[in-house]
Amino acid sequence: MEHIGLTHYLVVAAVLFCCGIFTMTTKRNAIGILIGVELVLNSTGINLVAFDRYMGPGRLDGQVVAIFLIVLAAAETALAVGICINVYKNLSTVDVDAASQLRG
Amino acid sequence: MTMWLAQSNAWAGIDVTRHLFLFSPMLTLVCTMLAVVACPIIVGRSAKTIGAVVVMGIIASFILAVRVAGEVAGGGISGLSTQPASGMLLVDNLSIAFQLILLIFMGGVTYLWWMGSSDSEENAPEFFILLLGSAVGMGLMVSTSNLLMIALAIETASLPSYAMVGFDKRDRRGAEASLKYLIFGAISAAIMLYGISLLYGLSGSLSVAIVAQHCIQSLASGHNLVITLVALMCLLSGIAFKISAFPFHFWCPDAFEGAKIEVTAWLSVASKSAALILLARLAMVFCAGVSAPEAIGMLSPLAWGIGIMAAITCTLGNFAAYKQTSAKRLLAYSSIAHAGYMLMAIAVFVHPHSDHGQEGMSALLTYIAIYMFMNLGAFGVVAMVVWDTGSDNLASFTGLLRRAPLLAVPMIICLMSLVGLPPFAGFIGKWWILVALGRLNDSLGWFLVITAVVNTLISLYYYMRIVVQMSLRDDGQPALSFPLGGMALVNICAIALFAMFGFAQPLKTTSEQFTRNIFDTTMAKTVVVDAAPAQPIESVQR
Repeated sequence: MEHIGLTHYLVVAAVLFCCGIFTMTTKRNAIGILIGVELVLNSTGINLVAFDRYMGPGRLDGQVVAIFLIVLAAAETALAVGICINVYKNLSTVDVDAASQLRG
Repeated sequence: MTMWLAQSNAWAGIDVTRHLFLFSPMLTLVCTMLAVVACPIIVGRSAKTIGAVVVMGIIASFILAVRVAGEVAGGGISGLSTQPASGMLLVDNLSIAFQLILLIFMGGVTYLWWMGSSDSEENAPEFFILLLGSAVGMGLMVSTSNLLMIALAIETASLPSYAMVGFDKRDRRGAEASLKYLIFGAISAAIMLYGISLLYGLSGSLSVAIVAQHCIQSLASGHNLVITLVALMCLLSGIAFKISAFPFHFWCPDAFEGAKIEVTAWLSVASKSAALILLARLAMVFCAGVSAPEAIGMLSPLAWGIGIMAAITCTLGNFAAYKQTSAKRLLAYSSIAHAGYMLMAIAVFVHPHSDHGQEGMSALLTYIAIYMFMNLGAFGVVAMVVWDTGSDNLASFTGLLRRAPLLAVPMIICLMSLVGLPPFAGFIGKWWILVALGRLNDSLGWFLVITAVVNTLISLYYYMRIVVQMSLRDDGQPALSFPLGGMALVNICAIALFAMFGFAQPLKTTSEQFTRNIFDTTMAKTVVVDAAPAQPIESVQR
């Protein structure tokens, strides 16, 4: 039986990335789109940690980036939910198609 | 003289005080942010108090930045680390020059906000925390060549911007604008981070100089070609979003129209130019890494790619501005067009046969400085019209030359300067970019020159529409009332545009001084590659 190698992790991450992109492009609900963004960010995290593990001992850069990434994602989500609540108060929906006052 | 900060593994022998001094302009902004947090508890939430604290912080930061600029330009600084490229932050002439421009502009925006805020304004501390936060992010964006720091800086600049756009909670348009800005921003940031993770995997380093060497190797040899291209495109998409370059420009007009006018002014200049300088720095590092003759051929498609992106961006911005009836939206499209002109300057020094890198860079820096005054003036006038009439529709500009000559004249000057007509500074900004392009003397250069000239002619039409509306039409509305301070601000901008045209030669010399050293000590030329170079992905599978 084959050992789990770097490629396996990269494939999982790539699939997750594609799922995220698919979610972003098909969802019309703002929260749904943001969940897609989270999927892409998590695929990035898998990539970084896997590279660190398999590219020789003593590598830390990728793990450090992964931790920063988690913080970034948290900050972004907090702000995004705030903005979504504000939109909901004003438009009574968080559907991005309903946000169509500004155009031209 | 490039200084590298924060080399983590060698604290011994590093002069911490000096590093803190070199980084002090941004630290001062962070301290101002803390002071703004503390202010409501100690002296109250009044807009005037908070504004005064912020202005003091900006002035302190500006003075420190001038001193750092003297220190960096004067030489006498030794490099900190044997591996200059591994530093997280760097302070050099370019980053300090941009920080100076940014601080001047932030002073102008703060002043504009101060003029426009009513006495009952309750949310001053929150607004200024966001403004300062995004300014720190932009300051960091230009002073790094590390992928992690690039990602953090872009996010630090972006997150407060989303909130600023939707700052007025009762405004439906603001809410919609911030939602659109947030969604575009979050998607492009996530894609950029994925690209960064791939680049890290390919090169085993986060330093752009080392990443660039690996990328160029794989481009030249065809090894891991596809994945390198995908990763680079991902990284570029994050930066192109901030520049609002085609095809990542969709957020720009909506966000700019929905936001408060001070915020629009801030985003149109500061966030775009920070991202442009970041892209310029990345492009420089990439080109410096190319020495092998077979790799030089790789740069030509890259230069064409950026050139075509620039051409489409400015053509699209100018055509879309045609039919706009909202002054804010018109200026938003005009800012897309100007981002396109500035991208052309970047195409100059990506170009393989270019010895004119410095020319392109100094043209870019000058253009940013001039663009700041043009936009501050134009948005200042629009802001005062909005405060008085409550609408930014072009109809509210009717007869402005009679109703408020002291606003209409600077507006005309700023608009003519945005077109790029002499005798205003916009002309020299554009002229130097064209000269740098013309000196390339090849098909790309002339293609971009022709595009820029044709676009200038197109843009004349829609800027003139505002001028005609202000001067030739008149529907007998009463005179406009406006704050004297705001009038002074826009007139100072207009005079500055005259003055910069008059003193074009000193301006050129200054911007060349600020960009000169970057090309001498280009990062990748002095780089010492990691002791244990990264292994290619295939060979490390266990």
